[in-house]
Amino acid sequence: MKLSIHREARCSPEQLRVLLIDAAEQLAGRGARVLEAKLPWEGHPLLLVDAELHPVVVSFDSEHSEAALLNGLMAVEKLSSALAWVNQVYEALQHREQPPRLVVVSAQLPPGSSAILARCASLRLFQFKALRVNGETGLWLEPLGDQNDAERPANAAPVPGSVPEAPRAASISHVSPADQPAEDTLPALSSEETAYFQQL
Amino acid sequence: MTRMQLNPAWRRKPVSSNRLATISDSYLSDMPDTSKPNVFCPAIPFLLDDPAQSWITHDLCQVLTERGHTSVICHLDEHSDQPAGLSPTLSDTGSISSYCILPVTTAATVRAQDFSHVVLLVPANLDAVRRAYQRIKFLSARAPSPEIGIVLVGPRDQHSAWRYFRKLAVGTLRYLDVPLLNLGFLPEQVTPEHGPADHHRNNFLTRISERLISSEFFHACATGDDAQENP
Repeated sequence: MKLSIHREARCSPEQLRVLLIDAAEQLAGRGARVLEAKLPWEGHPLLLVDAELHPVVVSFDSEHSEAALLNGLMAVEKLSSALAWVNQVYEALQHREQPPRLVVVSAQLPPGSSAILARCASLRLFQFKALRVNGETGLWLEPLGDQNDAERPANAAPVPGSVPEAPRAASISHVSPADQPAEDTLPALSSEETAYFQQL
Repeated sequence: MTRMQLNPAWRRKPVSSNRLATISDSYLSDMPDTSKPNVFCPAIPFLLDDPAQSWITHDLCQVLTERGHTSVICHLDEHSDQPAGLSPTLSDTGSISSYCILPVTTAATVRAQDFSHVVLLVPANLDAVRRAYQRIKFLSARAPSPEIGIVLVGPRDQHSAWRYFRKLAVGTLRYLDVPLLNLGFLPEQVTPEHGPADHHRNNFLTRISERLISSEFFHACATGDDAQENP
């Protein structure tokens, strides 16, 4: 099958949110789960829980990387000051009261990201590219500074614009309805039903 | 204090003994077993059209709590194939809450959990109405079909909401023999960006919550201990 990859010109915040939810394990590690798809704070970050039961705030902004970082820091501060409540509300955290981690996702890296990474052990930065692969929108996520090493070896970094090798293909998370969790092989409509739902 | 910055829905209010007594009267036998004061938890499953609609369940939970029906949101592991996953989830939360809000994203989960009631959040457009119809068709294919309530999300006004609901309700009644309950709507002006304290937004959410309560639209879940004894 021919593989057709194009750069998506524009990715709306809600579309990006869905793609990031699909990529939860890539952002917060294997076993990560979504606790809250839209926190009621500035930027509406996601809240995940990782395999070690840390709450993980995923803050994102497709245009303003600084906003993503600042919104994320504010969300982490709010969570930190109310860990007891948060652990009561979300049973998945199992009352461990682990400190929250922060993941920031933006199209461009925020200014001074190397210095920030060097100082924040619990921060991870990802740069994203929205791609259209064979007609379906997906997300290409590049982590910056594995193990918080701002200066990653050049050969370890993914080459921007290159076609991902096989294991990295998992970073494409499709938004097609067929890829939503376990849904629903929904029943087909009869011709009568189809005609009925043609117009309001 | 910094804790006050948190959304009130995140807080658990103390148990209201009156409320618990009411629930016990409704769901326990005439001679309640005092060793198990609350073996049923009313759960309201919400089938989301899109995970981004989770702000609606979040805010409804908050509104219910503010109106004296202490509520919590429980998340099911929808990737698990085990239908029994619900009872352990409710075993802790159910004992202190009037209602448990259960947002789910797939009709398969609703069927796997054998919910007796489910609320569908349906965006006000023809594609979403058609998809909601397909989900209802899926759910009603196996008896007993759950009772289904509809909340229209994003119509221009009440008239528009009614037109979308009527289209769906007439279709399900005509082709599936499934009646629907109209639980209200959230107009397009109500968005998550308004913030939970917005009066306009609160009014619509309050109407929906009142209809849920007054029509006793919930699934009575057995909590952990009871479920183990009576699988």
